[in-house]
Amino acid sequence: MKQKRISRKAIPYLFILPWIIGFLVFTIGPLIFSLVMSFFDWPLAADPKFVGFGNYIEMFTSDKQFSKSLIISLKYAAIFVPLNMIIALFLAMLITQPVRGVKIFRTIFYIPTVISGVAVSILWGWILNGDYGVLNYLLSLLGIEGPKWLVDPAWAILAVIIASAFGVGSMMLIFYTDIKNIPIDVYEAATIDGANPARQFFSITLPIITPTILFNLITSIISSFQQVTLVMLLTGGGPLKSTYFYGLYTYNNAFKHHKLGYASANAWVMFLIILVLTALVFKSSSAWVFYESEAGGVAKKGKKSKRGGKR
Amino acid sequence: MRKKLVAMLILAMTGTMFLGGCGSDGGSGSGGGDGKSGGKVKIRFASWDEAEDVDAQQAAVDKFNDAHDDIEVTLEAYGGEFDTKISAGMGSNDMPDVMYMWNYPAYSQGLEPLDTYIEKEGEDYKKNFYDTLWNYNSYDGSTYGIPIGFTTHALFYNKDIFAEAGIDEPTNDWTWEDVQAASKTITEKCEGKKGFSFQMKPDPYDYEMYLWSNGTAYVDAEGTLEGNLNSDKAKEVFQMFQDMEKEGSAVATEKSGTDEFRAGNTGMYVYGSWSINTLKEDGVNFGVVNIPSFGSQPSISILSSSGISMSKDSKNKEAAWEFIKFWTSEEMNKERIGMELPVLYSVVESEGIMEQPEYAPFYTMLEQSSDYTPSSFIYGSWSELSENLSLSFERVFNPSAMENVSDVLDEAAQQ
Amino acid sequence: MKMSKISKTIIYILLGIMALYFLSPFVYMLFTAFKTEAEAVAYPPKLFPAKWLWQNFADAWNAQPFGTFLWNSLLVTVGTTLGQVISCSLVAYGFARFNFKGKNVLFMVLLSTMMIPWDVTMIPQYMEFKMFGWINTLKPLIIPAWFGSAYYIFLMRQFLMGIPKDFEEAARIDGANAFQIYWKIFMPILKPSLILVGVLNMISVWNDYLGPLIFLQDRSKYTLALGLAAFKGVHETQIIPMLCITIIMIIPPIIIFIIAQKYIVEGTSGSIK
Repeated sequence: MKQKRISRKAIPYLFILPWIIGFLVFTIGPLIFSLVMSFFDWPLAADPKFVGFGNYIEMFTSDKQFSKSLIISLKYAAIFVPLNMIIALFLAMLITQPVRGVKIFRTIFYIPTVISGVAVSILWGWILNGDYGVLNYLLSLLGIEGPKWLVDPAWAILAVIIASAFGVGSMMLIFYTDIKNIPIDVYEAATIDGANPARQFFSITLPIITPTILFNLITSIISSFQQVTLVMLLTGGGPLKSTYFYGLYTYNNAFKHHKLGYASANAWVMFLIILVLTALVFKSSSAWVFYESEAGGVAKKGKKSKRGGKR
Repeated sequence: MRKKLVAMLILAMTGTMFLGGCGSDGGSGSGGGDGKSGGKVKIRFASWDEAEDVDAQQAAVDKFNDAHDDIEVTLEAYGGEFDTKISAGMGSNDMPDVMYMWNYPAYSQGLEPLDTYIEKEGEDYKKNFYDTLWNYNSYDGSTYGIPIGFTTHALFYNKDIFAEAGIDEPTNDWTWEDVQAASKTITEKCEGKKGFSFQMKPDPYDYEMYLWSNGTAYVDAEGTLEGNLNSDKAKEVFQMFQDMEKEGSAVATEKSGTDEFRAGNTGMYVYGSWSINTLKEDGVNFGVVNIPSFGSQPSISILSSSGISMSKDSKNKEAAWEFIKFWTSEEMNKERIGMELPVLYSVVESEGIMEQPEYAPFYTMLEQSSDYTPSSFIYGSWSELSENLSLSFERVFNPSAMENVSDVLDEAAQQ
Repeated sequence: MKMSKISKTIIYILLGIMALYFLSPFVYMLFTAFKTEAEAVAYPPKLFPAKWLWQNFADAWNAQPFGTFLWNSLLVTVGTTLGQVISCSLVAYGFARFNFKGKNVLFMVLLSTMMIPWDVTMIPQYMEFKMFGWINTLKPLIIPAWFGSAYYIFLMRQFLMGIPKDFEEAARIDGANAFQIYWKIFMPILKPSLILVGVLNMISVWNDYLGPLIFLQDRSKYTLALGLAAFKGVHETQIIPMLCITIIMIIPPIIIFIIAQKYIVEGTSGSIK
């Protein structure tokens, strides 16, 4: 009997054991290593030199690009994250409509996600080229002089957003799966109650999918800070460094300037910023995220002390 | 010290995860290992060639392997991602034994100096290479690479467009004034076409050739920017390009300008020999001449050189050198024609390269440019300077900025 | 509930507009793949090629040993997807349906691992894999996936937390143990999200070229994505072969997606009206 109780306590740990092993073997070592590196002047091939907080001090005092890139990334995240989520949710709602041929549209919306990032960047480079691009050519047929998307700093960030929204399919699919998992009787009850589609969406669908909204929110905050491939290939950080995202800044410090220690310091500052943002989102989530597993009459066993305010 | 520190960190890393000691097969590992297996010395060879050239390279490597019982070379082709891979390899102390190389200032610390190897081969070995190339394959007084290819820049022009505009084709003696005049005529007479194109965001490494051609450079021998980058002669160069863009006879392109030239939208542009194959395949009716001069002195070109280098950590340096020798031989220079411009006097002569009008200008420019050293070899933290210069140039040439040349360069020289 | 004609029309208009945005770049790419290089860069651009060069696809496929690359890509994709689905569901179940000491801290740690960019952990990771003797093998690309990745664990956890608490109570009363409940009760209803994780993982692994670039050496080990990237040179990009391979590479994931669609819907009690 006693033995059984001990093993019961161990059960949750058994479930998460794969991740714990993987974390210890593959993740924590490199993480610590990069943290250590951030306190060194660590060139590519020569001897590293310990500099204490030197790298961090340099970032906040003498490196102007640090704050510029940070602001660019914050701006991008502020526009891109909500926009992307709204589009994804909108598409997910569209493709759940019971109309003929919806399956084909579902696939169409998903295709761009499947295209390799390198090809996508080159493709958009062609389309958005100011003088010889397809988009401006089409606009010129309509008598509109299109902006120089990748040359005018005022338009470039929009160009990046247009190109990255192209890959919204994954998020759409996540929302879609969640919406599809809502038991049908919930809606049927609502229909009997006479709720119109808009009310159905706001009072039934939206609350039920809040856990996935939280997921998409957090992961897209993270990915928008780490955005590298697309800007590197599409704009190269330009024009006039207007799309020199923080991710690109870190990448270039590591692989172009070969300042591995400094790049690690960049990365860890970014880590702290994302961590704070994530923590804030999680804190706020107790007010708007609705977990079925915590609802109803079943006693909530002190779930998530961080979200303690919920009940 | 580096190795010790790295070893300590790795030990700490693995200590936490392998308390049981099941990771004991570590140490030398089998990834790169001591490079020996089955009695053969293994040599890793990394190149940046793209897909279509790799088969030819593999065939050449196979040829070497067949001729050597004791050495086995494996080809690793990384294309445009070459630098990422080499950086990662160098940062992790696991480099290929032999690799293509161009950016010596950035990588020299991980490379083996080759001067003693070269000496052993005798005087004639070294002498057969175009002399200028050795400057570009050395850093801080040591030679780190053996030349395998190069390109200078030259002026490409579209013969059909010149015919359409009814003007004479460029010659090797053209000055920039000639280019400007021709550009104007082309832009006026040929609907929707521009006479000349240049890069809106030129690579500062390449762009220095225009400053050289006008008798200045980014920095002097001490590495000082002030009075060089913002000298009157430097400003003249930038002003000329900006003026051409402003008056509309030239277009500043987002990328290299090759696409615009291929499509027949521009009459002239300055570029390396990289695009020759493409232009031929497209059937573009083009010609190549020397870079135009500023009048007072012959024009100078930057060199983009390819060399082949050895890792300083290679465990089989003799075998690696054996392969390098093979790869830089006359035979291989001939083999690579069409992919690279040959770098040996003897091969250029025997293959009659100078009689081919599309290649000859690149060699003339090479000879003309022998006394110049790029600032990237002089200035300590070039990659960061380059990034700043790039931004300054863009401020001058980007049509949505078009800032005052003098102001921008003065500001840039204050860094 | 029957839908009115008007709302149907509105839905079709919306679907059409969105399809235009998502499909037109793709269609342009598809048609360009049949062109000559010269046509591809021509201005003004033309939508249709002068001649449909089917040969482009064969040429591109033969330019590199893509047969080998395909095999490697399949190994990696199938290998990671299996691992990812199994371990992520286990771990997510642990985090979502139990309370245990240190859970919140561990979960924050899990999320944190997503927040450090790969650029700076890559070099130490390389050294570690080298010590294992894994460099130039597919192991670094496959094995870590068997220990779950934070992204999918987090996703699964969100789905699991959306299931009412009393769900397993009945089974518990019946005397089923935790693993039986996980396997017999939760797995069936989780099928759609398991498929989702599988599909998402498949796409990202299929197209990942940075991992293969760093950890592989011989061409015989390369994956499709790495072969694709090799068309991009230092100075010139071979655009037509690149587009051809891109299009070929789209086909398997799309087929999988079309099949998976069905299961994502099937797992539930029906569609929304």
